[in-house]
Amino acid sequence: MTYTFRLRRGLSYGLLAIFFWLWTSVGVVSAMTQPAEGEPPPPLSLDDLAALDALLEEDAQGTAPILDESAMLDLAALGVVLVFAVFSFLRKDDRLKVISLVLSVVYLGFVKASLVSVVDVFGAIRWSLPALQDGQAYYLLILFTLVSTVVWGRLYCGRICAFGALTQLMDRVVPARFRIEPPWWLDRRLVYAKYVVLVAAVLYFLVTDDTLVYRYIEPFWMFTLNGNIVMWTLLAILLLATVFVRNLYCRYLCSDGAGLGLLSNLTMFRIKRWNECQTCKLCEKVCEWGAIDGPNISVSECVRCDDCERLYADEDKCPHWLIQKRVAMRPTGR
Amino acid sequence: MTGVVGHAQTGVSPGDETALRRLLPAAHHFALVEDDTRHFRAYAAPEAGRPLRVVGLAFFTTDLTPRIYAYKGRITTLVALDTGGRVLGVDVVHHYEPFGYFSIDLPGFPRQFAGKSVLEPFDVGRDIDAVSRATITVEAATRAIRQGARRLAREFAAAQALP
Repeated sequence: MTYTFRLRRGLSYGLLAIFFWLWTSVGVVSAMTQPAEGEPPPPLSLDDLAALDALLEEDAQGTAPILDESAMLDLAALGVVLVFAVFSFLRKDDRLKVISLVLSVVYLGFVKASLVSVVDVFGAIRWSLPALQDGQAYYLLILFTLVSTVVWGRLYCGRICAFGALTQLMDRVVPARFRIEPPWWLDRRLVYAKYVVLVAAVLYFLVTDDTLVYRYIEPFWMFTLNGNIVMWTLLAILLLATVFVRNLYCRYLCSDGAGLGLLSNLTMFRIKRWNECQTCKLCEKVCEWGAIDGPNISVSECVRCDDCERLYADEDKCPHWLIQKRVAMRPTGR
Repeated sequence: MTGVVGHAQTGVSPGDETALRRLLPAAHHFALVEDDTRHFRAYAAPEAGRPLRVVGLAFFTTDLTPRIYAYKGRITTLVALDTGGRVLGVDVVHHYEPFGYFSIDLPGFPRQFAGKSVLEPFDVGRDIDAVSRATITVEAATRAIRQGARRLAREFAAAQALP
């Protein structure tokens, strides 16, 4: 009896001692890893300082490669989208254009959310541009936009811009019977609204220094999928209105389109016109953008969608060719 | 060290003091050090007969890395370090970034830096989370914090080594 009692007592004392030892040692270990409040952390050792000097050298020289793997991938993917857009434009092929639009919506829209924005105009005003090492693809997109606008006109708006591409694709899906064409007199006035938006946004930025206004005058944030309830509501209204008035935002409201429209006055290679265009209205009716007024094409409204160019290259539809054929078929005998 | 002055005139503006207090709540007072690594020092309460003890350092990225531009200009970030080169906290104070509202403005961005040693990589995609569609913003903010923290930790270690 006493023997088992002693054994039990001995065991419990032993267990207690083990618990005590564990408790204190864990306490000591945790005290070592987490210095108590007020204890200064150990200063950097000499080895740490040597390592830190090497890192500082790296920071100063930027030895981290500017073109790392992911940057190369971004550039390559953007390159594919841009090259394909130009290819489809030069080939004047409608099917290629659809592929180009889909590429823009998917890659430049939902994958990268990389669109030219009024914020870029703000940045240009403040001459505040991102570091090249963070944004090679961004610079390529901006450069392409400016150069292509000077060379061909608003090609960016018609093919590269993910939102413009989205509304153009929408237009191909939505039944034509929903469509409302704004009367000519109204359209001619509404096209200036986008310039008003641009000027107002720039003035607002100059006064308030607030770039966030872009969220309420551009729907491009939608590709980031990060919006508040006001932004989503405005977007829903805009997309609903676009069902009825095609390319509504691009034609009347886009401040970037306005900026590129101003630049497009320098366009080098404009759409050629035939003599017959003086009287023919075929292309004017076809133009989704309201850019054609009789013999004149308004460069600042034209996004180089190819619809009219495809039409007047068509020898069975364009009066230019039809008249030529008739001349050729005319009997030559007296 | 020039510019370290007594308790009475520390050169810290009330706005900066509030921001510093958030990151270094245990500090007794702060002082501004105006040299080529412009920064703040946080001190423990003075003890009689002993020199003032530095308990933390802080800097604005716009002071130490003024040439790092994000998508739209500089991102003003306040970074607090301990004297052993570990980040105590980061506070994104001001920026013009369009995509800031879903990247660096979220509390998760500054929180990632707390507890990191300046010897760690601070590399977006490795030890700092990448935010898709806001790459330029996150990269630039991280680079400014990394380079500034390393510079200040080095300068402070050098200053401590001097008598």
